[in-house]
Amino acid sequence: MSEMWINMGPQHPMTHGLWNLRVKIDGEVIVDVDPELGYLHRGIEKISEDRHYNEVVTLMDRTCYVAGLAWEHLYIIASEKALHIEPPERAEYLRVMCEEFQRLGSHIMWFSAFVVDIGLLTPLLYGMRDRDLVLDLFQSYTGARMTYEYMRVGGVRNDLPPGFTDRARTVLDWLMARFDEYDKLTLGSDIFHKRCDNLGILKANDCIAHGVTGPMLRSAGVKRDLRKDRPYAAYDRVEFDVAGADSADVTGRYLVRMEEMRQSVRILRQVLDWLDRNPGPVMARELPRWLGAPYAPVGREGYLLKRNYPKGVGFSSIEEPHGEAQAYIVNEGGEHPYRVKLKSPVFSNISAARQYLVGYRVADIPPIMGSVDVCIGESDR
Amino acid sequence: MAESPGAEKREESPILWVARPMATAARQFARSLWRPSTIVYPYERLEDPKFREKLEVKSGKPFGVGDIWDNYRGVHALNIETCISCNLCAFSCPDICIEMVTVAGGDPKHPKKCPEIDYGKCSFCGFCSDACPEGCLTMTTRYEITTPKRQEMVFSPERMYEIFRSKLPMNPIRLARPENEDQILLDPPLCIGCNACARDCPTQCITMLDIPKPEAKPGEKLPRRIWKEPVVNDSDCVRCGTCISVCPKECLFWGTRK
Amino acid sequence: MSSATLYSVSYDLVHAILAAIGSVLPYPGNVWITNPDLITGLAVLVFGAILLVATMLNTILLIWWERKLLGRFMDRRAAMHVGFAGLLQNFADGFKLFHKSTVKPREADTLGYLSGPTAYMVASLLIFGILPISSGWNSGALPLTLLLALAVFSFAPLFIFVSAWSSNNKYSLMGGMRSAAQMIAYEVPLLLAVVAVVIVAGSFDLTTIVYEQQNYWFWGPLFLALIVFVAAMLAEMERIPFDLPEAEAELVEGWNTEYGGMLFAFFMFTDYLRALIGSILVVLLFLGGWTMPSWVPAAATSFPLAGIVWLMVKTYIVFALFVWVRASLPRVRTDQLLRVGWNRMIPLALLSIFLAAVLVTVRCLPAFGCIPSLGT
Repeated sequence: MSEMWINMGPQHPMTHGLWNLRVKIDGEVIVDVDPELGYLHRGIEKISEDRHYNEVVTLMDRTCYVAGLAWEHLYIIASEKALHIEPPERAEYLRVMCEEFQRLGSHIMWFSAFVVDIGLLTPLLYGMRDRDLVLDLFQSYTGARMTYEYMRVGGVRNDLPPGFTDRARTVLDWLMARFDEYDKLTLGSDIFHKRCDNLGILKANDCIAHGVTGPMLRSAGVKRDLRKDRPYAAYDRVEFDVAGADSADVTGRYLVRMEEMRQSVRILRQVLDWLDRNPGPVMARELPRWLGAPYAPVGREGYLLKRNYPKGVGFSSIEEPHGEAQAYIVNEGGEHPYRVKLKSPVFSNISAARQYLVGYRVADIPPIMGSVDVCIGESDR
Repeated sequence: MAESPGAEKREESPILWVARPMATAARQFARSLWRPSTIVYPYERLEDPKFREKLEVKSGKPFGVGDIWDNYRGVHALNIETCISCNLCAFSCPDICIEMVTVAGGDPKHPKKCPEIDYGKCSFCGFCSDACPEGCLTMTTRYEITTPKRQEMVFSPERMYEIFRSKLPMNPIRLARPENEDQILLDPPLCIGCNACARDCPTQCITMLDIPKPEAKPGEKLPRRIWKEPVVNDSDCVRCGTCISVCPKECLFWGTRK
Repeated sequence: MSSATLYSVSYDLVHAILAAIGSVLPYPGNVWITNPDLITGLAVLVFGAILLVATMLNTILLIWWERKLLGRFMDRRAAMHVGFAGLLQNFADGFKLFHKSTVKPREADTLGYLSGPTAYMVASLLIFGILPISSGWNSGALPLTLLLALAVFSFAPLFIFVSAWSSNNKYSLMGGMRSAAQMIAYEVPLLLAVVAVVIVAGSFDLTTIVYEQQNYWFWGPLFLALIVFVAAMLAEMERIPFDLPEAEAELVEGWNTEYGGMLFAFFMFTDYLRALIGSILVVLLFLGGWTMPSWVPAAATSFPLAGIVWLMVKTYIVFALFVWVRASLPRVRTDQLLRVGWNRMIPLALLSIFLAAVLVTVRCLPAFGCIPSLGT
């Protein structure tokens, strides 16, 4: 068989989203790859320019369908900087709780998808079952399972319902026991190590050259975690360790994500204790007058722009489950952001595909791309 | 490989090639023989408290623990009687799926308008029920709205009133109003005293008060206007902004009363 | 053992019906219709029809069995709405597939595309004419049943390659290539493992092999051969962890990517048919076939059709083992699969042959008590 191009995507079981990986193969060996993105572009950045600061939150949920609250958090931090608002402390802790639960949900979802890529169908169901508990928790205080619309500029929508923290602790205990089960099903089997060891290697300097962040970078031996390096929200007030590995391969990324989930549980236990001890307001008192949450009517720009509101620019960068996400928001006065720019970690991680795919076999594509944790919603926006 | 504390301990080493995963799968098989974790949806429902109790006791798993369902954002319930036709729900909708339609019960001059929601567009963000000043538009735990006809996705106010009267659990989460809320302010020189704001105010918190007609100085022409000015009763005002939108001279605006 | 065989039952049935018809016919008709040749011919057809229906029902039941087992492994309920405990779900799925239209890719080769799945299914169905299900319940006493069964079993993958190539799809082609490579690699250890059984049993006839196991089942002394046989059979059946030809993660659906509707149903059905054949072969070769050990009470083995019932019970248990493997193991890679096949499986199979030879020698030493060969 001579060399040929095959299109893995846009509809292909490997893609986990809507994108196209063009692969040039020689027999079973990959000679060249060419990732194509943009099939899921919805113009979220442009739509945001026509929405309220608070209404943009509904769009942020839809950037990444498995990590909606993390993106809400990213956007809210940037817009609070642009609008010169300081959220109350309890809201910051609540946001940390949201983000860590979201990290749990996202990583469990990744686990489910990844094991299917290497041919294990059983843990897929285990992962979905356990992620459902996290979604139940989200539903109990945000009111939705996937599109939460929970955070607001200046705080969060509402406080926790009574009995939430105990319920959350039950779920955390259950999840901790399940993580060991996951490890037994994957790391405990020789076939897993045969499939995943020394696969898809992306060394630290290659990661840095391509802007690859998140678990992929940490598995290459670089312990960079924005929660530690540049703490935002309440991350400087909780204790945790940065997960890391040295092998820079698929197994290393697996280990990093599993360890991150355990660290998330550790953070969550501290945050839940803090929330139990410190009741308080969840919304800032000094909001801009027209930003009293969703009251300000849409379509009244003319009346609002006449009055002088403070201008500003907000930049935020958080450790999203997939890597470092960034948002840049320009506030030119008025009720809509003038410009919202989002930078997705997945975009960079996929862009380096040629570095970590060429030379391996066709059968290695699903595990390698699975270990990248692709979420096309956020890379295409 | 993982450097974090305890990672070496947790790392599973393969025993007998595949024995460990097979044992794990067998354990799960034995556990789910009596009752798998799935819920047979149309027959068992998580929002059913009786089923939740049964599940909690029997399975020992943290499924369906607590009253998680009451906060769910589902189909809206509308209390037509208390609706004041303020338009705030329609204004705050990011999907523009709410249309204000006339319902029976208003006087002919000021027809009563209530929201009609197109669930084909609705994203269930809950902004409308957050915005509702009277608490008459709330969200229920009902989530089954599939229908073969597109027209049936549009819920009229009467239909949502029926949902309200069916006493489904309403979403108890309500956004507290911020303390420094906007107020309606007036640019007095621009006002012509036309009464449009007071006429259209849904809560009738605007009263037109007489103001003294100033003496015209020599050579100065007095503006042609009615010598009245709107005064807003802040405690009754729901901040709907109707007055701002109907004002022909754009003399009302949001602000804080000094 | 019951004296009635499937063939005698069908012969008697046809004979009775024809005699009844002949008794009401006038002279030339009644002689003609009770012609022994006609009765024999019709009896063979009835025999085949009964076998075909039984095979299909069993295959469909096997799919149900796998679905239910896999469901519990995955902490969920499987098919449960159509029929009792979802027993009829597969019939519903089958009917759905059968009334879908056959869509052929424009560039596909018509003859290969259409004939591939059909030939694949027919070739696999052939084996059931050969496999003895119970004493007397096979088509005839061929001396080389085992060889014939395995030959037909390894003949079928040729049609996979035919249909994969004629689909004119890169994924299908890769799946077909992988399938061919895998079949060839694992045919060798499969046959070598069978050789060990043949040495001990002293016959290529499956019936003889089963009767040889009346004193002891072969899975104990030939454990190594059993392991090799089961592993090779997993590869031949293309099940996880060796389901590379249809690895859905990278090859969409492998060699049947371009197939839909009835032709896909043929493929799916035949996959499970081959799984059924593989499980039955394991039972026949290593687990005593339809015979039960002597400590089992006679009441449990003497009711009508007891042999078939026990064979089926054993088959379903063996298949449950395959499902268990599927539920807990990931898929290996092509090169690893081939390396395991050539480097590990064949030496192990050769070793098992050696052990079998030792066993045969030792068995006849007076010190161990000479176990007589029963034979038929």
